[in-house]
Amino acid sequence: MIRVEHLTKRYGAVTAVDDLSFDVTPGRVTGFLGPNGAGKTTTLRALLGLTTPDGGTATINGCRYRDLSNPARYVGAALDNDCFSPGRSASQHLQIMASAAGISSRRPAEVLELVGLADSARRKVGGLSLGMRQRLTLATALLGDPEVLVLDEPLNGLDPDGIRWMRELLRKLAHEGRTVLVSSHLLAEVAHTVDNVVVIARGRQVAEGPVAALTASHHSDNLEDLFFDLINDRKLEVH
Amino acid sequence: MTAIVRLTRAEFRKLATTRSYPITLIVAVGLALLEVAAVAMAAGRNGVPRLGSAAGTNQMLKLGAICSVAMLVVGIMAAGGEFRHKTIIPAVLISPRRNGLVLAKAIAVGAAGVVLSSLTFGLGLATAVAVLAFRHFHHLPADTWRLYAGSVISGTLFGLIGVALGFITRSTVAAALGAVGWVLFGEIVILGTMAPHLARWLITGASMALTDPAVPGASTLAPTTATAVLSAYALALLAAAVGVLARRDIG
Repeated sequence: MIRVEHLTKRYGAVTAVDDLSFDVTPGRVTGFLGPNGAGKTTTLRALLGLTTPDGGTATINGCRYRDLSNPARYVGAALDNDCFSPGRSASQHLQIMASAAGISSRRPAEVLELVGLADSARRKVGGLSLGMRQRLTLATALLGDPEVLVLDEPLNGLDPDGIRWMRELLRKLAHEGRTVLVSSHLLAEVAHTVDNVVVIARGRQVAEGPVAALTASHHSDNLEDLFFDLINDRKLEVH
Repeated sequence: MTAIVRLTRAEFRKLATTRSYPITLIVAVGLALLEVAAVAMAAGRNGVPRLGSAAGTNQMLKLGAICSVAMLVVGIMAAGGEFRHKTIIPAVLISPRRNGLVLAKAIAVGAAGVVLSSLTFGLGLATAVAVLAFRHFHHLPADTWRLYAGSVISGTLFGLIGVALGFITRSTVAAALGAVGWVLFGEIVILGTMAPHLARWLITGASMALTDPAVPGASTLAPTTATAVLSAYALALLAAAVGVLARRDIG
C-alpha cells in the first residue's frame, strides 16, 4: 500500500506539490492524473526517495522508500525511459541492475521475455526504438518481482499494440494482488486500464476514488469528461 | 550477500560493459610504450641522459603521469557518466542510501586502477628492459620497483579522485576541465611559482614524489608521506561526493 500524507515540495517560489494526500491500495490499478506541470512526477520522485519533500510523508507499506532494505525486491519503479548507457545491450543493462539488487542472473531473461524483448536482448540500447526502451524500463521495474509498481507515463512511445499489451499486463499485475500506480496524461488510454484515480492540479488533489463512482457523482460520461470537469472546477476555484 | 558486495559486483559489470575503460587502458599502454621508445631514441642527445645510465633508465620509466591521468579519466567517466546517461536514477532506486553507491564505485575503479597502472608500467618496463638488453645493458636502477609501486598507487588514487569529481560535478566535461585547470593553473602555474614550498603538499606534488625518480637534495615528500597525502585528498574528495550526492535531488 502506498500512502501520501500532506506531501509538500517547493522549488524556490514555486510550490510543485501542495499538501497532497492520497492512498493507493493493492489489487487495483490506480491512475495518477493531472495536466503537465501538475506535480505528478515530483510526487513520484518524493515517494521513491529521489527528492526530499519540504513537508509531509510518502510511504510504501508504512516505510519511507529509503528505509526499505533492498527496495528493488518490493518496489518496481519506472520513471524515465531513457536511463540507459546507450552502448550496453538490453541484457547487460538488466544483468547490472540484477547484480546490484542481488537478484538471480536468470531473472533478466525472464523479464525480457515478459515484456516482449527476448529477441532484442543483445541489441545495444542506443539502437532501440522509444517503445522498446519503454518496455526495457518496465522490465527493469519488474526485475525484483515487486509487490508495488510505480510507473510514470508508461504508455508514452508505445504503438497501439504496445498500449494494449501494457494495459493487459498492468491489469494482470493488479489481479495478482500488487499495488499499481500509473501516472499519465493520456486519458483515453488510461480510462481502459485504471480502477481508481487520483487527480491533481497545481500540486493539489482534485479528486480521488473509483472511476465509476467519480464519473457518476460528477455526471460525466467518461474519464476524459470527468478530468476536464475537475480541472476546470479547480481553475475556477483558483481564480 | 551485503549491499556493498552486490553494488560492487554491479560496478565491475559496468566497467566491463563500457568502452571507456578498455580504450583508456589501450591508450595508456600505447603512450607508455611510445614514451620508452622516444626516450631510448633520444638518449645521449639534447640533455637526455645516455642509455644504460640510472638516470636514463629512470627517465624511460617516468610513466606514473600516464597512469594517473588515465585513471583520472576513467574515474570521471565512471561517475560523471551516470548523470550523463541518467543511469544514476535506477542506481539510486536500487540503493537509496547513496553512500553505498560512491563506495562501490570507488572500490571498482580502485581495482581497475591497480590493473591499468600495473599493466601500463609493467609493459613499459618490459619494453625498457628489452631495449636495454638489445644494447647490452642488463641492470635496472634501484629506484625501479619504487617507481612501479608509486605509479600503481598514484594511478589508483587518481581513479578515486576522478570518481569523486564525477559525482560532485555530475558532468564528465566539467570534472575533466576542473581537474586539468586545477593541476595546470592552481598547482603548477600559481602555487608552483608563488609558493613552491606548498606545491609538494598538493595533489600533483604528492603524485610526483611517488612517480618520479628521487633527486638528491630535492624537497619532495618521502614516498610514505606522499602516499598518505594523496590518500587523504582522495578520501576527503570522496567524503565530499557522498555529502553532495546524499543531499542532491536526482532526476
